Parts: sequence; structure tokens; C-alpha cells
Amino acid sequence: MTDTLASHADQTLNKGEPLIEMEEVGKSYGAIRALRGINLRVGAGEVTCVLGDNGAGKSTLIKIMSGLHPHNEGNLRVDGKEVSFSSPREALAHGIATVYQDLAVVSLMEVWRNFFLGSEMTAGKYPLAGLKIKQMKEIADAELRKMGIVVKDINQPIGTLSGGQRQCVAIARAVYFGARVLILDEPTAALGVKQSGVVLKYVAAARDAGLGVVFITHNPHHAYMVGDHFVILKLGRMALDKTRKEVGLDELTQQMAGGDELAELSHELKR
Amino acid sequence: MSQTLEAPAPAPSEPTNRVRLGLAQRLLGRPEIGALVAAVIIFIFFLVAAPSFRSAESFFTVLYQSSIIGIVAVGVGLLMIGGEFDLSAGVMVYTAGLVTSMFCWYYGVNLWIGAALSLVFCLALGFLNGYLVMKTGIPSFLITLGTFFVLQGANLGVTKLVTGTVSTPDISGIDGFNSLQSVFSSSFKIGSVTVWGSVIWWIFFVALAAWTLHRTRTGNWIYAVGGNLDSARAVGVPVIRTKIGLFMTVSFLAWFVGMHQLFRFNTLQSGSGVGNEFLYIIAAVVGGTLLTGGFGNMVGVAIGAFIFGMTSLGIIYAGWDPNWFKAFLGVMLLLAVLVNLYVKRMSTARKVG
Amino acid sequence: MTVRTRTFRLLAASAAVLVAAAACSGGGREKEDDTETSGGNAAGSSGYTIAFITHETPGDTFWDKVKNGAQQAAKDTGVTLKYSNDPEATKQAVLIQNAVDSKVNGIATTLVTPDALAGSVKAASAAGIPVVGFNSGIDDYKRLGALMYFGSDETLAGTTAGKRIADAGAKKPLCVIQATGSVALEARCAGVKKSAPGTENIQVNGADDAAVVSTLQAKLAQDKSIDYIVTLGAPIAVDALKAIEQASSNAKLITFDLNEEAAQDIKDKKIEFSIDQQPYVQGYMAVTSLYLNLKNGNDIGGGQAVLTGPSFVDSTNIDKIIPFTKNNTR
Repeated sequence: MTDTLASHADQTLNKGEPLIEMEEVGKSYGAIRALRGINLRVGAGEVTCVLGDNGAGKSTLIKIMSGLHPHNEGNLRVDGKEVSFSSPREALAHGIATVYQDLAVVSLMEVWRNFFLGSEMTAGKYPLAGLKIKQMKEIADAELRKMGIVVKDINQPIGTLSGGQRQCVAIARAVYFGARVLILDEPTAALGVKQSGVVLKYVAAARDAGLGVVFITHNPHHAYMVGDHFVILKLGRMALDKTRKEVGLDELTQQMAGGDELAELSHELKR
Repeated sequence: MSQTLEAPAPAPSEPTNRVRLGLAQRLLGRPEIGALVAAVIIFIFFLVAAPSFRSAESFFTVLYQSSIIGIVAVGVGLLMIGGEFDLSAGVMVYTAGLVTSMFCWYYGVNLWIGAALSLVFCLALGFLNGYLVMKTGIPSFLITLGTFFVLQGANLGVTKLVTGTVSTPDISGIDGFNSLQSVFSSSFKIGSVTVWGSVIWWIFFVALAAWTLHRTRTGNWIYAVGGNLDSARAVGVPVIRTKIGLFMTVSFLAWFVGMHQLFRFNTLQSGSGVGNEFLYIIAAVVGGTLLTGGFGNMVGVAIGAFIFGMTSLGIIYAGWDPNWFKAFLGVMLLLAVLVNLYVKRMSTARKVG
Repeated sequence: MTVRTRTFRLLAASAAVLVAAAACSGGGREKEDDTETSGGNAAGSSGYTIAFITHETPGDTFWDKVKNGAQQAAKDTGVTLKYSNDPEATKQAVLIQNAVDSKVNGIATTLVTPDALAGSVKAASAAGIPVVGFNSGIDDYKRLGALMYFGSDETLAGTTAGKRIADAGAKKPLCVIQATGSVALEARCAGVKKSAPGTENIQVNGADDAAVVSTLQAKLAQDKSIDYIVTLGAPIAVDALKAIEQASSNAKLITFDLNEEAAQDIKDKKIEFSIDQQPYVQGYMAVTSLYLNLKNGNDIGGGQAVLTGPSFVDSTNIDKIIPFTKNNTR
């Protein structure tokens, strides 16, 4: 599967080079301030983990980066240029691809259609452009095989694949179409241990191929396995911002679980 | 990096724990199969039960009846695959005819102008439906229910204002009638069999829609916006454009049938068309389209319309009490929905590996 | 200078083309100024308010004429008319109750579902508001407490029509019902069957012309012995003509009620005759009788129902009637 990454990842990416930089970014919906004062940096060949409880502002952060909702405070720079996305298409054009937890694929559609969704190969001119169906099936099959996902029938609905495989197809698709930054929204949340492993391996492979990865999760164990940089969000603000060298798994777990609050809780529940 | 992951094992060249799907199971995964089976059974049933059903003339009468429902059902089917409803389609058929007929009658202009005007009007209505659904996020069921009532009332009110009655005047004497009639509602004879142009148009629209759905990028997008809107949006499918386009397709086809009605009957009753919107939805659902979107195909929708035409006339050919027709139709619909449910389970539950 | 002249010529030419285009398209609306058809001039209001309630399904040409009659009568007598309608029995009862509550001077209502409406009609009588029945309910209006009734006896209309076609040799008439569950329509067909026992009923979807044609076409193909078609509404008659033509059937056509197109078909002898229950008269008389009752204590009909039909329209008297169909009063 590293073949896929190596051959499709942008060759101009240099490890450590900043791809996305956020400076005091915030977002309000009407009177509600969902996010404020976010300083975040996603570098090539690095995994930036964003942790946080439900409602901490993780999904708002994703929406800003993926172009669903533009930010209204601070600066967002991609490749050093200031941007404000107004649609996912625009973010995609900058090489930022997002893979959502449950929304990664259209489960009733065939595997190959999912693989090429939104970037279909066509022959001829619009509106009479037919799809190059045979070619797309071959490419999808080959690319998936390289990742270790073998589907008996590339025409089967993607809903028949396992959760981990579906995530991988979605990630592989993003990489194949030239993503430079991958935003993964809780890719392991709904998966079992073994399947989480499949996805984490793929995250590491993407990192090694030089892509910038934003890994959103509330599982510090998964985060610590692949992460280079850790950010914890709490009530729309950054509660922790440390590199791998500066923080250990224990501290991360402690912070993530609410630290002192957890101690108090365990005291209360003591039997 | 304190911890490096091992490179993944090379992909197995052959699947290990996969079961080969039988032919029957693969067939069951196709949306139209339930409808096809039902259509064949009903067809044989009427062949046996109704002697006068066994003629080419009867068959083409059934096809005509099917085409009137089937043409709009093509649009409604596409829209439902795209995850939306249109309850205004039935009345819009008559709105299209009324606009053409009254505009030309009142101002005494060529009917081609009126036809073009009502096409623009209908497309605008379709756009409005789609725009409101996409901008407000209110379910299309409610938005188009609103349009349905507005059109129903406006059809009556405006007709009464313009003509002084609730039906339109005879327009067969206005310029352009004959040429438009030959486009929209001509018929020709093969032996003793009358073949209506609308049947040919129906086949054409079904083929065009089927091709679009399976062989073009647009078709891929239609399945995607119906199957999983957010995921489609996230991979860059122009969701709003696709859906508004679908609503406009429905209104285009409603206009087309409206023109057929107008140029076949010369006058229109302004209160007509109410209730037909459900026939379109029934045709689509019987044909295997999922009410929740993302699944279905055009052959299925065509078979659905054919089943409707066959059932509604078959009862007459058999000489039965037509009071029972609605009951029979209801049973058909329930069966179709149950078959669809079963099929969906079959196609998603065969999870292996 | 020359440029300006050319522009002017161009403008003049295009204007001429436009005028010509507008003028040469025939078949449209007749462009004369609308002359007021009103017969009476309402010399001041009489001060009465009358509620006029029907079970009209919106968009039916028949009710349009009933309404026209009522409006003309209101104009002629200087009455304020409050028109309301609902095809559903329970909602019609609410409309009558509304009229009682708003203390109108008189109520004219159809009595298509006598039992459902009985409560509201009795409430009106109790409040001292005179009630007049019209169009339907001939057997029940007295029981409910309505003073007068204007309408046709549907069964009588049916038997009369049935007798006329039976005398002409009808063996197997087909009676076409365009709305489900309507007592009046069923009564007409039952009347036809009484005189012509071979009559068979068929149900069609009156809201869809194409469906009506296909259904009748199928029926004619199924039963070649059908020699008469009886339609219960003028628009359905026009559809039935198309079906007869499509099925190359020799069946003859008669219809209830009239409209402009059906009148023309009677003139062209495509429709044998029409049984007209004169809807305009029903509306007109219902309002006028209430006015007379309020003003002068009159009782029209002398305690008996006043029949507005059946009146036959055929090729012998159609020429006189056609202008009225154009006015939407017949």
C-alpha cells in the first residue's frame, strides 16, 4: 500500500514544511462562539492529533479546514498564503481532503463509483461525456489491491465492506486524487481493535509518504501511536499544545480525561 | 518516533474468506427485479383472465396509459434516487397546459410562443422548488406540498379570472396548433393498432435518463446526493446544482406531458391533475426506487408505470368492478415496498470479510 | 440625419410586423369590449346577507354555473352573498354552522349528505334563519327543516334519459361515473338502469382526461355490445367522444349537463342529447327565493320541491342555447 502513497503523494513535499497554519482562528455561529484562539500547524510528513471531548469544538475546526464553514476570526494560511474557503471543492483544490467517520462513503453505491466520486473520468464533451467505466474499475481495483483490500467484485456496494476497509478506501481515494493534507475525523471511533490497527497503519504510511495528517480522535492511545504533535480542545479553546517530545501518553490521557475532574470522579465513585 | 509501525504485509492475491454470490442473489440486488417479476405475473394473469386483453390494440392502449404516467415518473424517479420528493408534479402538468392555452388565447399569439413561455415558467417553478429545499433545509415533502397547493389554487383562480370559467377555451383554431400537436400528441397506425407518439417519447426519455444515470458523471452524482448527501458534498460533488437540476428535470417532464394533454384535448379543466403526483411516486417505488434515496434505476421506474397502466386497464378488460381498482393498486404498492425492503436487506447484509 | 431616418424606418417596420403578428393569429379570445351581461341594476342594497354553501369540488364547470346564477341573483336583489364550499360532508356542516354563528339572514345549501348536515341545518332553523335546499337532497329537505328546494330529481332525470335511449333501441348502455361515492351520480345511473335494464356502470378518474379516454377505450374493446354511453358531466362527454373514435366503436353518446364544447358537439350531432338540470337556475332561485321569503314571506313551490330539470337539449333547440353556454350560464 505504500506504493499507492509513494506514487501519488506530491513529490514536492518536504518533511516538516508547514502546509496549514492557523493563527488565533475562531468561529462564531450567531451569538455562540464555538471556537477561539486556535493556533495550529500541520506540517508535511507529520501527524497532528486533535483531541477533545464531545462538544469541544473538534467538528467546527474540521469544518473550517475542509471548507464547509469559513472561519470569522484570525488567519488561516495554506502553503503560506492566506485563504478562507467557501466550499469543500475549494479546499480540495488546495489539496486538503477530509475523510469523515460515518460519512466517508455512499454505502449503496459500488466500490469503484465511490472511489471516483466527485472526480470521475469522462470521455467526450459535456453534456455528452460518457464515463470511462472500464478504466475506472481497473484503476480502483488495482489501487485497492495495493492497500491490501481485495474486493471480490468491484461492482459490489461499498456498504458490504467492513468499516475499516471503508475508511481505507476513503483515505486511499483522497491520496490517489492528490491530497497533500488529510483530515481524518475519528477514523477509528466505530472500529474494533483489529480494524483500528488497519487504519492506523495507513495513517502512518501516509505520514511517511510526506503527507500532512490531521488526526481527530478522542482516543489518546490511538493518537499517541501515530502522532507527532498533540492539541487538546476544551470548550472551544486549546487546553494543551505539545509535541511528542514534550508529552507522554499518561499526561495525554490525564489531560484528555479532564485531569483533576477525573481524580475527583474516581474519588466519588470509590467503593 | 519512538514507535514505528511495521510495513503492512503484501496484499493477498486471492481473497480468503469470501463467498461467491449465487446468480439468484446477484439478481435480487437489482432494483427492478421485483417489479419485473410482478409485471410478468400480472401480464400473464390478465392474459388468462381477460380475453379482450389479448390483442395488440389493447396492449398499445395500455402502453399509452403507462406513458402518460411514465414520462413524469422518469423525472420523479431520478429525483427520488437523488433523495427528494416532488408533490407538485401532478398539478404542474396542468399548470403548463393552462399557461400555454390561456396566454395564447388571451393575447391571440402563436401557440409556439405560449409553449416556450410555459416551458420557462415550469423550469422556474422547478428551480424554485429545488432552491427552497436546498437553501432552507426544509424537507422537499413540505416545500413541494406548498407548491402543490399554490399551483392547485392558482390554476383555478387564474383560469377563472382570465376566461370567466374554470376550463380553458378551445385553442385548436390558434396558429401553431397543428405543428405542436404533431410534436406532442400525434399518433400513427400500424395495421389496426394506434401507436401514440407519447409512447415513443416515453421510451426515449427512459433511455436517456438510464444512460445519464449509469454512464455519466451526473448520474454518479445523483446516486451520491441521494445515498449520502454529506459524503457527496465532502468529496466535491456540486450538491445544490445536482438537486436543483433534478427538480427542474421533473418540471420539464411535467411540462412535456402538459403539452401532450393540451394538444390532445384542446381544452383543459383547471382542477385536474390532483392525485397524479402519487401515481408518479408509486411508479417509482413499485419499480424499486428507495423512498430514502440513493437506489433505483430507470428500467424499474418504467416497469412501475407499465404495471400501473396494465393494472388500471386490465381490470376493465377483465370486466371486473372497477371500484376495486384502488384496493388492488394498494396491494401492489405494499407488495412492492416489501420486496424492496427485502432486496435492500439482501444487498447490504451480505457482509463478508 | 440619414442614420436617424434609418432608425425610424426600422422601428416603424418592426412595429408593423408586430401589429401584423398580433392580428393574424386567429382562434383566440374575441377582442370586443366585454359588455356587462348583468340584467338587473342593484338599486341600493336590500341589506340581507345570504350564505350560499355547496359541496363543490374546486374546478368543476357545473358549480361554476350554479355560482354564476347565485351571484346574478344577489346582484338583482341587492343581497350580500357569502359563498363557501367543501366537498367533505363534515366540513360542509361546519360551514353551515359558521353561517349560523355569524347570524346571516338566510342560508342556501346543498343537501348531498342529509344525515351529516342535519345537525347544522336544524341549528339554523332553531336560530330562526330560513334555510333553502338546492341541487341535491330532494327526499330529505323537509325532514331537515328546509323551507324550499330547487333542484332536479336525479333518479327521475336518469329514468327519463334511460327511457329516451331505450325507446331508441339501447340494449347495453354504459353509465360513466367520474367521482367515487357520489350519491347523486349513482342515482342518475340507477335511474338510467331502471328504464334500460342492460345498463352497466363504470368508474373513471375524472381528474385526468387521458385516463378517462384510456379507460373507456379499454371498456369498449372489452365489451363490443355497448351501444350507448351515458356520461354524467360535460367534460367527460368530450373525453368519451375521443374514446369512441379511438376504439372505432359505434356506440352513441348522451350526457348530463352542458358546456361550450359539448354544446357544439350536440350541434354537430356527435352527442345525441344532453339532460340539463339547469344549474344556473338552481343558484339563481335559491338566492331569489330566500330574498322573497325574507322580504315578503313567500313560499315558492307551495310546499313541494321545485324541479329545475330534466330539460333536454338536442339538435332541435341547441341553436338557441349555444350563446348561453358561451356566457357560462348554461
